[in-house]
Amino acid sequence: MSHVELNQITKSFGATSVIPPLDLAIEKGEFLVLVGPSGCGKTTTLRMLAGLESASSGSIRINGRDVTHARPGERDCAMVFQNYALYPHMSVRENIGYAMKVHGTDKAVIAERVTEASRLLGLDPYLDRKPKNLSGGQRQRVAIGRALVRHPQVFLFDEPLSNLDAKLRVEMRTEIKLLQRRLGTTAVYVTHDQVEAMTMADRVVVMRAGRIEQAADPITLYERPANRFVANFIGSPAMNFLNATIADGAVRVGDQVLSLPPDEAARLGARGSVIFGIRPEHMRASEHQAALSFVPEAVEPLGPHTLVLGRLAGEKITAQVDPRFPVTPGAPCTVPIDMTQAHFFDPQTEQRL
Amino acid sequence: MNAAAHSQDRIKHAFLWPAFLIVLLISLFPLIYALSVSFQTMRLVPPTPPRFVGVSNYADVLVSARFWGSVWTTAIIVFASVALQYVIGFALALALHHNVPGAALYRVTFLLPMFLAPVCVALIARMIFHPVVGPVNDLFTFLGAPNIPFLTQPKLALAVLVTIEVWQWTPFVVLLMLAGLQGLPAEVFEAARVDNIPAWRRFRDITFPMLLPLSVAVVFIRLIEGFKIIDTVFVLTGGGPGTSTETVTLYAYNEGFKKFNIGMTSALSFVFLVVIILFGTVYLAAAQRLTRKYA
Repeated sequence: MSHVELNQITKSFGATSVIPPLDLAIEKGEFLVLVGPSGCGKTTTLRMLAGLESASSGSIRINGRDVTHARPGERDCAMVFQNYALYPHMSVRENIGYAMKVHGTDKAVIAERVTEASRLLGLDPYLDRKPKNLSGGQRQRVAIGRALVRHPQVFLFDEPLSNLDAKLRVEMRTEIKLLQRRLGTTAVYVTHDQVEAMTMADRVVVMRAGRIEQAADPITLYERPANRFVANFIGSPAMNFLNATIADGAVRVGDQVLSLPPDEAARLGARGSVIFGIRPEHMRASEHQAALSFVPEAVEPLGPHTLVLGRLAGEKITAQVDPRFPVTPGAPCTVPIDMTQAHFFDPQTEQRL
Repeated sequence: MNAAAHSQDRIKHAFLWPAFLIVLLISLFPLIYALSVSFQTMRLVPPTPPRFVGVSNYADVLVSARFWGSVWTTAIIVFASVALQYVIGFALALALHHNVPGAALYRVTFLLPMFLAPVCVALIARMIFHPVVGPVNDLFTFLGAPNIPFLTQPKLALAVLVTIEVWQWTPFVVLLMLAGLQGLPAEVFEAARVDNIPAWRRFRDITFPMLLPLSVAVVFIRLIEGFKIIDTVFVLTGGGPGTSTETVTLYAYNEGFKKFNIGMTSALSFVFLVVIILFGTVYLAAAQRLTRKYA
């Protein structure tokens, strides 16, 4: 049995349904990330798990116990919010120890756990400060400390790094990941940032309009996206999508012919219309390469590599090339395509072929 | 200094003086005039020429038992009514904040008393508490209790005044506390709910301390406003029976506009002003210490 189970959970606000029946099982100790664009229902799902929103139908089980109708406090979850949600009039020490104090935990135990958490999170020098005298990163550490001292069944993170600057975000995501692994507590983490999702998760759940588009480990998600939406959402810069046909073991984009590896050609056969997907970073030389020409409109050097942005048959295309790759905006250029990394989607269903 | 700097120098007077004169004329002049009057005997009826008497008006005020009686009366009405206003107002604001069924209707009806002129409220109250035809006494009679002299027994009259103050001004507290509650970050309370903090601890440890600065301000406004109470008392009891419900402002009014003893009234007003300023300073200092503990 899974540690956390959502069975046929739905949520409607009035007549508007935000979550159609949704099933999700989370294993004990797993770091699960819910990711998707704004309004995809990821936060609502998390809040239903926390009990801050009631599910319109379906059931929720945590550690084998049905908590569908339990109050938030009875679910033994600890939550970290985007805006930290610290008690502004309490010091860091009081913030971390407050819930234990209210529940009548022994003072010595509280002190011990607060010390342990503050050491773990590097909060020792700030224990007697008020939240307003802390930086964003420190505040979020306090919020995490407040969550972990409770030794909950599940950690819930609601976009905890969104308010931090880019550098701090990178540091904190490593810290959170390491902390979770060390404690072995099940964690559900909501973010709209696919990089955060990929780097932190044991398993990523990509959501759109309340539906799970794909739930898989980060590498599978990247290498074998289940549909065009996931393919587009995961990876940066985003995958290129070109309308194409397949015939005689080759992909035809406009009048350009890109030959497929034999096994791929055999699997796909001939098709009148497909969406040909190729990631910008897979526009490179390989054992089985093809060439694609297009007209570049802009060149963006990033240092380690350069992005070439252009158009092909009216569609936008981005290629990632070596910094010294010869290219001038306006003059047609040809880039190699690693055909072993090509993706194909059905134009109607948008599912992977 | 060069010519340009000189002209700039002069033009600043054109900007400064009008404002200064206006402040002097409409704000400082009456105060200074009243202060000078408080050191003179001045009667309007019969008109007597003013005569400088030094601090004797002040001495008269400070030894007057009627003055100290009025201070005591004012203090009882203000402190009792503001305490009740705050407690009831905060409780109602909490209820409205948590969206009790029909909150929108309550929100409007709770605010209505505040919109009425105090004189109207006093007139209504005079009818309601009328010893013979008032509905309150009707109710007591119906329940078999004796007729209660609400407005003619000193303690009861004070209680009625406190009740009216509470009835009229609790909405003010509701309005401000509700605004304060709605301004609190929702996530903090969600965090507390997830952490299984019971409702009353959430109130005691989170809501109340976070609203403490607002509470201090609301109570302060109500206290200062309360000290000036005159119209309700004037209409309802006229300060009676005897002078048992006479507030400081009513006492000043009686001295000035019944006895036309303007010098005495001015002195009285200044003593009152000094007392209010002292009280306000002490209150704010104490409140600041309290809020600093939490902020």
